[in-house]
Amino acid sequence: MSEKRKWRMTRRGFLIGVGATGTTLALGVAFGLPYGRIRLADMFENSAGAPASMDAPPNAWFEISADNQVKLFIPKVEMGQGVHTALAQLAAEELEIDWAQLSVVQATTALGPFDSRGTSASNSVSSLWVPLREAAATMREMLRTEAAKLLNLPAAQLQLESGVFSNDNARLTYGEVVSRVSSWTVPEAKPPLKDPSTFRYIGQPVPRVDLPDKIVGKAIYGYDMRLPGMLYGAVARPPTLGATLRRVAAGEAASKPGVVTVVAEPDFAGVVAESRQAAYQGVFAMSLEWNETQRWQQADIERLITVGEGTGVTIQRLGDAPDQLRIIGTLRAEYRTPMAAHAHLEAQAALADVQPDGVKIWASTQFPDMVRGEVATLLKRDKATIEVIPTYLGGGFGRKSGVEPALEAARLSAAAGKPVHVGWSRTEDFLHGYLRPPTHHVLRGNVNADGRMWAFEHQQASGHVAAEFLPGFLMAIFGADFGAWRGAMIPYAATHLQTVAWRNELPLRTGWWRGLGLLANVFALESFVDELAHAAKADPLQFRLNNLPDDEKGQRLRTVLTRAAELASWNTAVPAGRARGIACCVDAGTAVAHVAEVGVEGGNIRVHKVTAVVEPGLVVNPDGATAQTQGNIVMGLSSTLLEKITVKDGQIEQGNFNQYPLLTLAETPDIHVELISRGSQPFGMGEPPMGPIAAAVANAVFALTGQRLRELPLRLTT
Amino acid sequence: MELNINGKSYTIADGPARPLLWVLRDELGLTGTKFGCGAGYCGSCTVHVEGEAKRSCITPVTEAAGKTIRTIEGLAEAGADGSLTLHPVQQAFLEMQVPQCSWCMSGQMMTAAALLESTPSPSDEQIVAAMSQNYCRCGCYVRIKAAVAQAARQMARAEEGAA
Ligand code: FES
Ligand code: FES
Repeated sequence: MSEKRKWRMTRRGFLIGVGATGTTLALGVAFGLPYGRIRLADMFENSAGAPASMDAPPNAWFEISADNQVKLFIPKVEMGQGVHTALAQLAAEELEIDWAQLSVVQATTALGPFDSRGTSASNSVSSLWVPLREAAATMREMLRTEAAKLLNLPAAQLQLESGVFSNDNARLTYGEVVSRVSSWTVPEAKPPLKDPSTFRYIGQPVPRVDLPDKIVGKAIYGYDMRLPGMLYGAVARPPTLGATLRRVAAGEAASKPGVVTVVAEPDFAGVVAESRQAAYQGVFAMSLEWNETQRWQQADIERLITVGEGTGVTIQRLGDAPDQLRIIGTLRAEYRTPMAAHAHLEAQAALADVQPDGVKIWASTQFPDMVRGEVATLLKRDKATIEVIPTYLGGGFGRKSGVEPALEAARLSAAAGKPVHVGWSRTEDFLHGYLRPPTHHVLRGNVNADGRMWAFEHQQASGHVAAEFLPGFLMAIFGADFGAWRGAMIPYAATHLQTVAWRNELPLRTGWWRGLGLLANVFALESFVDELAHAAKADPLQFRLNNLPDDEKGQRLRTVLTRAAELASWNTAVPAGRARGIACCVDAGTAVAHVAEVGVEGGNIRVHKVTAVVEPGLVVNPDGATAQTQGNIVMGLSSTLLEKITVKDGQIEQGNFNQYPLLTLAETPDIHVELISRGSQPFGMGEPPMGPIAAAVANAVFALTGQRLRELPLRLTT
Repeated sequence: MELNINGKSYTIADGPARPLLWVLRDELGLTGTKFGCGAGYCGSCTVHVEGEAKRSCITPVTEAAGKTIRTIEGLAEAGADGSLTLHPVQQAFLEMQVPQCSWCMSGQMMTAAALLESTPSPSDEQIVAAMSQNYCRCGCYVRIKAAVAQAARQMARAEEGAA
């Protein structure tokens, strides 16, 4: 990779670089061209792309070497969702190579495709579905053109298989073409993409590329990063919510064994030491005074997050719901969900090496480019001198969209002049991160004589999700927090509809959590739809089928609902002491329906079985999609049955898993997953299957006990 | 102080009292053993001490000194040429594509291997009881249970074949 490469930008935005010695061909596509959906890119991005002259192709997706191997540089991070494998499937498909010819390399902010969007919102595969395949196909066609020239044959006469062009008497590998060609032309026309009926990899349960290393303990995560001569850092944390440093002095820290550097700045107190233990003891010995604010209580939080408090924005409106909800027989119900922790098992971690001529950061991060930008601002360095190298993530769930450990490590490394690793303790992770916001929902609805929804309103209040991370002016444009209202809009065909999203400031940070507002909103909405069905004396499945719209979205929901009901034997008797509940949603383009079968054991809800039907458009990797569905259901059940963060006397009360237990295998139901592959565009799989799980369970609990539980975690009253 | 890990002997500084976990990870660079909670709740840090599953985050290093320690790095058998023969538990976890992020998985596999050592043909209830001591936030439980059962069958077959 040391040879100089030449660049050329064509109209289609491809970048191409060719090794001077002609042994490798690298090709990339400028990131973010045909992206749809909300343009988060613009919000996180200050400047475009890597510098134009670098030794390595800054935006290259692929590198083909003379030995006919292909490296695929992937800018999305692997946190267990299988994205490296799914994207490799897309690339291998259009490149027409054998699986063994391909190796996946994690891109960094300096090497590989530039990605300002991070890895979130279940959109990695859907947003790259076209650009990545087009880049691969372009590379394939360029190779074909050059191979034809070298063999002196018409391109159409060449067969292509496993990265080898051939006809009856000639044979040329990609590697041979690459080592013999020194000047390449990028075609201006879009390359032909493969007909789906000829797919070899897409749609197959291709095994995960990252598992062989993970199985033997070799895979490196942010918490595992090591460098020769590295030291460990720890940072002082506020004693209560909202506390800020008033006075900072080194105190006795410097004399503690193992302490190397003490950093005492007006807004920051930290210690660099030879071991983690010594670093924490050093911080403990510093002399710190804090300005504390009000001692917040749980009741304050719930009062702030109540429909009618803060700013309300109407995000969905049809007809005149408020007027039509004055009709006698209108149902009204309130729902609440609590704050929750991400509880990724790998706590936040980063290693920083700040040197005069450049900065390297290795981090468990979902947003490498955001880390780079913030480190540049903090250290007052040029972004081009900073490289952020994402590692594997031991779970992300939205929490690793934060940048704190990287900034802390950078600050401490700058002071110590040595590489410094900052790895949070579990308690730091619980108390000093950001949380899933609490929510409150007020639902009102009525149904006409023939069982049709007439007027339906969902008012929801939430702490910040996206608002925590976006500049104020952007929130002023959006009005409502699009993260908080994910899943809040009513997907049914009522004659009068209204959804209002309220947001309010909390004295603690809330933000991205897997699915954002999805679990809370679908819990409230789909539980209330069940209430309407029961009030109308209708079967909850039939009621939904009757009231969904006749558009495509409605039909997709009908399909997953009907199939889930069929698989779960909805219309047959339940085993004694059990009942079934059903719920559905469409999220990130994916339609989901769950049927939960529950019982009661020793006064507790016991979920015996979940039947899930998921239609995510085209299924890229059925085994991966099944794993995501299983995982989402387990994480969602953990929230449904157990998880709750509370505040007392200005502190978060849960500091470790003894106070915040997670679901274990013992409480995990049988999970039956069926996928429906449809059409030619994949949609999200990382979050949507979580949506309906809480409502499906709560609806089953109602069917079994007659208790309508309107608050998470669900608790039976005895 | 001498530690015997995966058949190799390591000398470490006597130093202050500290958990085995951080000696493995930070002092010896054996980062396959993971930190999850530091207090014995999650099981991510599970290793074998004298063949028994132990949570290394609450095991003082002095307690492990002089004993046989096995970590995920030593679960597979290394051949003379450096090739690895996976333990049946690793084989099953790979075949059934169990891990997602995999941060918990060293602990899961060490727990499972210790279970199958002491209880070669576990019932479903025994598998659930043993494996419910470990958290998996990614929610791989359904596959963990199936893979441990498969590893048990595999080991039983190998045992029969050897007899
Ligand atoms: S890290 Fe040891 S049990 Fe959690
Ligand atoms: S695989 Fe991620 S915590 Fe278990």
